[in-house]
Amino acid sequence: MSGSRSTLRAWLLLLPLLIIMTTVIGWPLADTIRLSFTDARLVGTSGEWVGIGNYAAMLSSSRFWSTLATTMWFAVASVSLEMIIGVLAALLVNQSFYGRTLLRALLILPWALPTVVNASLWRLIYNPQYGALNAMLTQLGLADEYQSWLGEPSSALAALIIADTWKNFPLVALIALAALQAVPKEIRAASMVDGAGPIARFRYVVLPYLAGPLMVALVLRTIEAFKVFDIVWVMTRGGPANTTRTLSILVYQEAFSFQRAGAGASLALIIALIVTVLSTVYAVMIRKAAGSAK
Amino acid sequence: MSELTIRNIRKSFGAVEILKGIDITLADGDFLVLLGASGCGKSTLLNLVAGLAEPTEGDILIDGRSVVGTAPRDRDIAMVFQSYALYPNLTVERNVGFSLEMRGVEKAVRRELVMEAARLLKIEGLLKRKPSQLSGGQRQRVAIGRALVRQPKVFLFDEPLSNLDAKLRMEMRAELKRLHKMLKATVVYVTHDQIEAMTLATKVALMRDGHVEQLGTPSEIYNRPATRYVAEFVGAPPMNILPARIAGGKIVVENADVPLASAKTSALSADGDKLSIGIRPEAVSYAGNGGEAKLWLETEIAELTGPELQVTGTIHGHRFVAALPPTTEIVQGTTVPLGFEAEALHMFGSDGRRLPDETVS
Ligand SMILES: Nc1ncnc2c1ncn2[C@@H]1O[C@H](COP(=O)(O)OP(=O)(O)OP(=O)(O)O)[C@@H](O)[C@H]1O
Ligand SMILES: [Mg+2]
Repeated sequence: MSGSRSTLRAWLLLLPLLIIMTTVIGWPLADTIRLSFTDARLVGTSGEWVGIGNYAAMLSSSRFWSTLATTMWFAVASVSLEMIIGVLAALLVNQSFYGRTLLRALLILPWALPTVVNASLWRLIYNPQYGALNAMLTQLGLADEYQSWLGEPSSALAALIIADTWKNFPLVALIALAALQAVPKEIRAASMVDGAGPIARFRYVVLPYLAGPLMVALVLRTIEAFKVFDIVWVMTRGGPANTTRTLSILVYQEAFSFQRAGAGASLALIIALIVTVLSTVYAVMIRKAAGSAK
Repeated sequence: MSELTIRNIRKSFGAVEILKGIDITLADGDFLVLLGASGCGKSTLLNLVAGLAEPTEGDILIDGRSVVGTAPRDRDIAMVFQSYALYPNLTVERNVGFSLEMRGVEKAVRRELVMEAARLLKIEGLLKRKPSQLSGGQRQRVAIGRALVRQPKVFLFDEPLSNLDAKLRMEMRAELKRLHKMLKATVVYVTHDQIEAMTLATKVALMRDGHVEQLGTPSEIYNRPATRYVAEFVGAPPMNILPARIAGGKIVVENADVPLASAKTSALSADGDKLSIGIRPEAVSYAGNGGEAKLWLETEIAELTGPELQVTGTIHGHRFVAALPPTTEIVQGTTVPLGFEAEALHMFGSDGRRLPDETVS
C-alpha cells in the first residue's frame, strides 16, 4: 500500500477525536488567549482590546512576584520533602518484616483520600482551640500555649507544606517501591560479596534503577505543586496576609473575586508557560538520567 | 592454599528442607562443578558458601576456619552470576575494581590490579565503557575480571555461561579452563551444561533433591555412575536402561530368552533377582553382519545429528537409542545388530544403586 494512502486513513480515523479535542481544549484555550489581551470583566463589559497591557501590569505588580515566590517556595519545599520521605518510606517497606503487606496498604491511604478531605483533616489538626498538634506539643512539653498554626503568617505556609507532603509522599513512595523491586537480586548479591556497605549499595546498586522513575515522580509532583489550588483554598484561602497565596489562588482572585477576567486569563497563561518550560527542562533531564542508568 | 569444606549442610526455607545434608571437601586448586536438575538446590548451596544466606545446620570452612555467620565481604570469596550483575552506571574499570575500592585499596594499586585482570581477560580496550555498551560475552568477561581482581580464596560461579550463545560459551569455557590452570584457584561452579561440567571439573557433585547423589571425577561420574539417576542424568542422549533378571548366573533382559552376558557381580546370584542394566548409546557399535552382535535393535527412526547417527528403536520391547558413526547406513524399520564391550555394561539393583562389578568373567 502506498504511504500517503495509509497516512490519509490514519488522519481520517483520528478526525472525530481531533474535532472533540479542538472543541473542548483548543477553543477554550484560544478564547483564554483572546481574553488575556482584553480588559474583559466577568460580568458586564465583554472587553476592549488592550494588547499586552494585562501582561505588563501583572509582571510589574509586586503581588505577582510575591505570589510567584510563595508558589516556588511551596513547590520546592513540599516536593523535596515528598521525595525524601517517599524514598525512605519505600526503602522501609521494601525490607521484609512481619506486617509489611499491611503497612504497604496503609501507606497509600493519604494519597487515596480526596484533597478536600485531607485539607479538612489538617485544619482540624492545626485547629487553635482543639487541634491535635497543639495538644500533642503541650503534652510533650514542647510548647507552653496553643498556637494558631494556620492563622499566623509565620507558620501558615509551613503548615500547608506539611499537609501537602503528607498527602503526596505516598505517590513518590509507590513509584520508588516499584523501582526498588526492579533492582536485580544478583547485583545486590554481587555488591554484598564485593563488600559494599549500605551507602555504597544505595548509590551504585539501587540509585541507578531509582533515578529514572524518581525523575518522573519529580516532574509530576513539581508541576502539580506549581498549580496547587485545592489544598490551599480549603485550608487558608491564601491567607493570612496573603502568605499562602499561590499563583492559582491569585488567578482565582483576579478572575472571580475581583472579576477581572482579562487579567486572570493573562496570569493563567503565564503559569501555563512556566509549567511548560519546567516540563521541558525535566524532559531533557529525564532523558539524560535514563541514559546513565542503562 | 585454600581448602573448602562443606560439612553436613542443611538448609530449610520455612518447613521445606531444600538441602538435606551436604558433605563436600575440596583441596586447594580443585574445580568443583555442581550439576543437577533445576531446583535441586545448587544455587542455594552456592549462596550458603558465599554468605548470602546462612545454613540451618552444618558448617562451612575455608582453610579450616568456619565462615558460617561471617559477612560475605569477610569470607574472601568472589562470585560470578548468570546475569553478569555488573553495576550499570559504573565504567568497566570501576566495575572490575569495585571490590578493591570498597576495601579502601589505594587508587594507584587498584589501577594496576585492574589492568592486570583486564589483560588476563583481554578487556583492556573496554575499560572506559559502561556495561550497556558491551556484548553479552564482554559483560561476562568483565564479571569474571571483577572476581579475579581481588585474588580471593574461593571463586563461586552460578551458571556464568548460560546466557551466552553456543559458540561464545565454548570459547569462554576454554578461557575459564585456561584461567583455572594458570591461577590454580579453588572453584565452585554451578551449571546445567554437562559438557561444561565434564570439561572444567576436577570434581563433579551431582545433586538431586538436596543431596549429593555422587561426588567424583568427571571420569568416575561418566564411567562408573553410582546410581541409575546419575547414569541417566549424565550423557546425551541418556544411558539406555533395560529391565533384566538373573537366570542361571547370567543376565537376561526382560522379554528375552537368550542371556545377554554373565553377571559380573557377586551381589546378585539367585535366579530371578531383578536388576536394571545400562548401556550408553555411544558404547554400542554396529556389528556388521552380526558376528559380534549381542543386541538386536528394531529401528524406528534414524537421525543424523552431525557427529553421529542416532538410531531410536526397541530391544525386546524396551526403548533403546544407539549412537553410531555418521556414515552408518541404516534402513529405517529393519533390525540392526549391535555389539558392546563388557565394561560398557552397567548394572543397577532394584534400589537404583550401582552393583559392584568386582568379578569380571
Ligand atoms: N528464598 C527462598 N525461599 C523459599 N524457597 C526457596 C528460596 N530460594 C530457593 N528456594 C527453593 O529451593 C529450591 C532450590 O532452589 P535453587 O535456586 O537452589 O535451585 P537450583 O538448583 O539453583 O535451580 P536452577 O538450576 O533452576 O537454578 C527450589 O525449589 C526453590 O524453590
Ligand atoms: Mg540456580
